[in-house]
Amino acid sequence: MRPAPQLIVLTIGQGLAGGLAVAFAALWSIHPTSATVADTLVLMALAAAGIGGIASVFHMHHMQAARYILRRLKTSWLSREALTTAWFGGALAVLAVWTLFIPEKGTGYLVWLWLTVALGLLAMWVTAMLYATIPAVLSWHTPVTVLSLLSVGLLSGGAAAGIAAPFDAPPYQVFVVALMVLAVWTLLVKGLHWRHFHEAHGRLRAETGTGLPFAPYRLQDTGTTKPPYRTQTQVAPIIPDHMRHTATATVVVLMVLAPVLFLILTLTAHVRAWSIIAAIAVLVGAVAERWLFFADATHSSRVFFVDESRHPARVGTVQTAARRAVKRTQPPTVSQ
Amino acid sequence: MQLTIITDLNKCVGCKSCQVSCKEHNTSGAFGPVPDNAPYQDPDGMWWNRIVTMESGEFPNTSVMYLPKACMHCYDAPCVPVCPTGASYKRDDNGVVLIDYDTCIGCQLCMWACPYGVREFDEEEGVVKKCTLCIDRLEDESLPDHDRQPACVQSCPTHARTFGDLDDPTSEVSRLVQERQGFGLLPELGARPSVHYLPRRPAPSPVDRETLDEALKERY
Repeated sequence: MRPAPQLIVLTIGQGLAGGLAVAFAALWSIHPTSATVADTLVLMALAAAGIGGIASVFHMHHMQAARYILRRLKTSWLSREALTTAWFGGALAVLAVWTLFIPEKGTGYLVWLWLTVALGLLAMWVTAMLYATIPAVLSWHTPVTVLSLLSVGLLSGGAAAGIAAPFDAPPYQVFVVALMVLAVWTLLVKGLHWRHFHEAHGRLRAETGTGLPFAPYRLQDTGTTKPPYRTQTQVAPIIPDHMRHTATATVVVLMVLAPVLFLILTLTAHVRAWSIIAAIAVLVGAVAERWLFFADATHSSRVFFVDESRHPARVGTVQTAARRAVKRTQPPTVSQ
Repeated sequence: MQLTIITDLNKCVGCKSCQVSCKEHNTSGAFGPVPDNAPYQDPDGMWWNRIVTMESGEFPNTSVMYLPKACMHCYDAPCVPVCPTGASYKRDDNGVVLIDYDTCIGCQLCMWACPYGVREFDEEEGVVKKCTLCIDRLEDESLPDHDRQPACVQSCPTHARTFGDLDDPTSEVSRLVQERQGFGLLPELGARPSVHYLPRRPAPSPVDRETLDEALKERY
């Protein structure tokens, strides 16, 4: 599948905002933070939600119809996503106004804070369900997708909150340890998710996809001058192994291993720079994770555009033609 | 009523006349255009009907099959419930799945939801388009009866495609599906496609001359 940058920004922004809200609510509930910390965290969450919201606008290619987007709340997870994300953004905006301009922060503030967290988690869950409930995208059609999107969102938001969280207050140690546990949990979830992605490649069923009685199958012609990679983003060519491995390693190192190391350094050395580096590493890792989530996803219609594995065609396909063209440009070798 | 097309895979010769006639009719039809990108330099365009050519079996016992692939007009069309604006809908009176371009926001979620990859995105208009079963022809009362059928069915030189109502047990398409084990693609994904294919008859096993002579001797 061809990754759409606006979807990467949208899902990361929403997860970041939700994670920041959860982290701030947790810190505030244990021990109210200073006004500066509260202002910083809430503004960061609002900015992340705003960036995600702006990105979602760019994903609509026919803006005149945007007013109809809530028509199918009964069946469409995208309608629900639009509604719940708007609720979350609204609650976050009210929270920001309260945090910045109203000094009174009693029980009412705490209730609103947790209501915002609940709406943030709801929006993240609905977004994750949008992907997990599409049977045709074999890689995403699993409950692990929901766990994955929620975990990455909470981890990125938590790490971002570490930038502003107070060092000397007792909750900070608990917060950092919880963040490290969350990082390890996210790694486990991602491991399960990638395993599902790997299995999805093998679940393309040429027998049922084409009804041919004799295996193996080889694609000779996709029907037109080019396969529909331009008009059908869901069948964009599968990414090469080296690219998948590089992206996976980037996610593991930047989103899990490096942040854990930097958070330990933050705890021991009490230098804020380490927590900032940890947050940046998690964010870059989250971008790599989300890119891989889209780029490596297997859609069922790919069965009409690939050979059956282990039995590649010797004629006709675009890929083999391209390989032949490359070979033609290389100097001839002497046969044995 | 569920209008549909049945394709006999034994008769399809992969000439792509259905593919071309689909594009020809619909590019100027009510649901068009079916646009091309850089048609005179590096042609790449939208097609609502694509003929996939596949080879199967091991050499020397191989065969080639042509699979015309357009919208399956599924009974449980997965593209319909995911659409946030209701632009994607299935007509109650004839079962045809259509898109209202005025309310489509171009989010492409329906393209992900469709198991068959038959919906295509029009970058110019920012909407998703697909086969309409030539609904503009079917409902055009000014056309003679023999023209009120999909362009792909009308243009097929081998009469591999048959058009009709699958919900009517007395129709030709129902009879073909019932008598010749018509099948739909990717049934495991639960979309219940209305478009069916008639399976290819298995190729006879290769027999050499000596085996044939022995068999004849034993028998006679």
